[in-house]
Amino acid sequence: MDHFEGINFSEMWCGIESAPGYLKPVVKVATGGTTGSSLAICGYYNVASGIYKNILVIGWEKLNEGGATTGIITAFDPVWERPSLAGALGPLALMAGMYSAKYGITPEQAAKVTVKNRSNAANNPFAHLQMPNITIDYVMSSQMISYPLRLHDVCPQSEGACAIIYANEEETKKITDNPAWVKSVATSHYYTFGTDDKMYDLPTATMASKKVYKKAGIKDPIRDLDVAEIYEPTSWSELAWTEALGFAEPGQGGKLLDEGITQMSGELPVNPSGGVLSTNPIGATALVRVAEAAIQVMGRGEKRQIPDVETALAMGFGGSLWTELLILGKEKLR
Amino acid sequence: MSEEIEKKIYRGRIKVPYKHTAGAYVERFITEIGKNNKIMGVKCPKCGKVYVPPKMICFTCFEKMEEWVEVGKQGTVKGFTVVTHSTPVMPLEPPYAYGIITLDGADTDFVHLINESDPKKLKIGMRVEAVFKEKPRKRILDIEYFKAI
Amino acid sequence: MSRKKGQEKIFEIKWKTDLPYRYSIGKLAVKFFEELKKNKKIYGSKCPKCGKVNFPPRAVCADCFVEMTLSDMVELPPKGTLEGFTVVNYPFVDPQTGGMRPFPYGYALLKLDGADTYTMHFVNETDYTKLKVGQRVEAVFKEEREGNMGDIPYFKVIKEEE
Repeated sequence: MDHFEGINFSEMWCGIESAPGYLKPVVKVATGGTTGSSLAICGYYNVASGIYKNILVIGWEKLNEGGATTGIITAFDPVWERPSLAGALGPLALMAGMYSAKYGITPEQAAKVTVKNRSNAANNPFAHLQMPNITIDYVMSSQMISYPLRLHDVCPQSEGACAIIYANEEETKKITDNPAWVKSVATSHYYTFGTDDKMYDLPTATMASKKVYKKAGIKDPIRDLDVAEIYEPTSWSELAWTEALGFAEPGQGGKLLDEGITQMSGELPVNPSGGVLSTNPIGATALVRVAEAAIQVMGRGEKRQIPDVETALAMGFGGSLWTELLILGKEKLR
Repeated sequence: MSEEIEKKIYRGRIKVPYKHTAGAYVERFITEIGKNNKIMGVKCPKCGKVYVPPKMICFTCFEKMEEWVEVGKQGTVKGFTVVTHSTPVMPLEPPYAYGIITLDGADTDFVHLINESDPKKLKIGMRVEAVFKEKPRKRILDIEYFKAI
Repeated sequence: MSRKKGQEKIFEIKWKTDLPYRYSIGKLAVKFFEELKKNKKIYGSKCPKCGKVNFPPRAVCADCFVEMTLSDMVELPPKGTLEGFTVVNYPFVDPQTGGMRPFPYGYALLKLDGADTYTMHFVNETDYTKLKVGQRVEAVFKEEREGNMGDIPYFKVIKEEE
């Protein structure tokens, strides 16, 4: 994104020169952390509307060139917010603290999320932090960087890119006999100003999930979804946001994990790819969620494949704490 | 500005350090300028077009370009403007000129500074020559400017 | 990014962006900063329709979409409650200065008494074990005030007799 690498007009660099999209319509979509899911949803709209037959969607980030925290501060109000804001991690730490104070979530439960996701990442050749032998103690003894977040409770800064091809029904037949179909998409926003609400329970995820489940005919997400790729910038956020997505009652996200439901072998595995805690090239991150969901539906996940995936959920989170969701499936929505 | 309006304005700055990994082609281009005062381009194996600055892929043929060719230090001005308005982020104190320059042997145009600030002395089709910086700093301004010849 | 031994050095062009900007703060903020500078007073804005009190003062009610004017500004006490807190303990460049932001620092989501919305600010406590949700805090004002947020450099933790 432009404010992370300090290059404006990045659509010219990425779309025309590198992609290359010479003589083709190129559109830049940048919505902060949700950039990838916004790209995915725009790609879907462009094809589903009948405007285009084939689309290449690319998300990318080179955080080595700038700094996520510094860039994120510039996105906020210069008078009220920039002076004290510490990038995304400061507010995420506030949210984690409020969530744990309300429901008594323990650091051990949060550490388990990192252990699950980074050991899942060991099965994903594209993951940044692959830690097959990571332990709860290792996470809990890492440096406290913003209470209650320790170093290994938070996502890394990564470099990376992700690309997805969208095609209409006719064109899809020429490309593959095993596509993933977009069944429903939703974007939800909630507040008007940055500090209207506490937001630790991510109300936008609840709003978006209700919309997306209804359109795809999902009544019980644990039963009707086979896998979920969610956007968890911190370990605590996976616990809180699986609740927001309706996988568990409020305050029960820790229990959901303790019972093994979101593990690779559980009823609804969450983040077999390793998630954002393992890989975070911001402008690509949410698109990676969508791509991983598609990989699971297409059965191309190799070591990270969940058996018999029919329906998958992908989530994007970012900007002003908004949520975007996509449901992909093996069968077309009739 | 009136005091009333002035009160409504917050004056801030955005100061951020960046580094740009420019890639192998830019590395070679800038290093040749700094070390050897040579301007290099790349040639498309299909259409023969010479790109300065060098690009990896030919825009029209989509061919990967790997043949490096030295082009002239002199070139022809295709277009110009004289900057007279000052803003805080300019490379030089105005007035100064920008030109679109096609170097001898190149097929693409190249934008750079011209050390002539009198618009009467600039014209399309005029010949210019690169002046190299004595102490290169690994950036495009290692060609300090182009001078009229 | 760390580089492994034997890996060749990557060609990098380094620069520092330095962009000045002018940001229009709006008439409610003008009144807020005037009162802060002259009278050490904190003002929020109250929706004339639903009565929701916004601090920081906002020009439009987020719920009713009703515009609030200078006559809808209400004085708020300098005391409030911590709703969330953290101690920022990691290094990063502050884009306001181009240098490192000093750390550690206490950072909180707090609610002024009488306000219905929240604000983010500094807190003068860097030991997180001494902070808790519900902690009472009070604004500290600078003696020489300039009419900007620096006039309240931080909120201090207070003990209150009930």
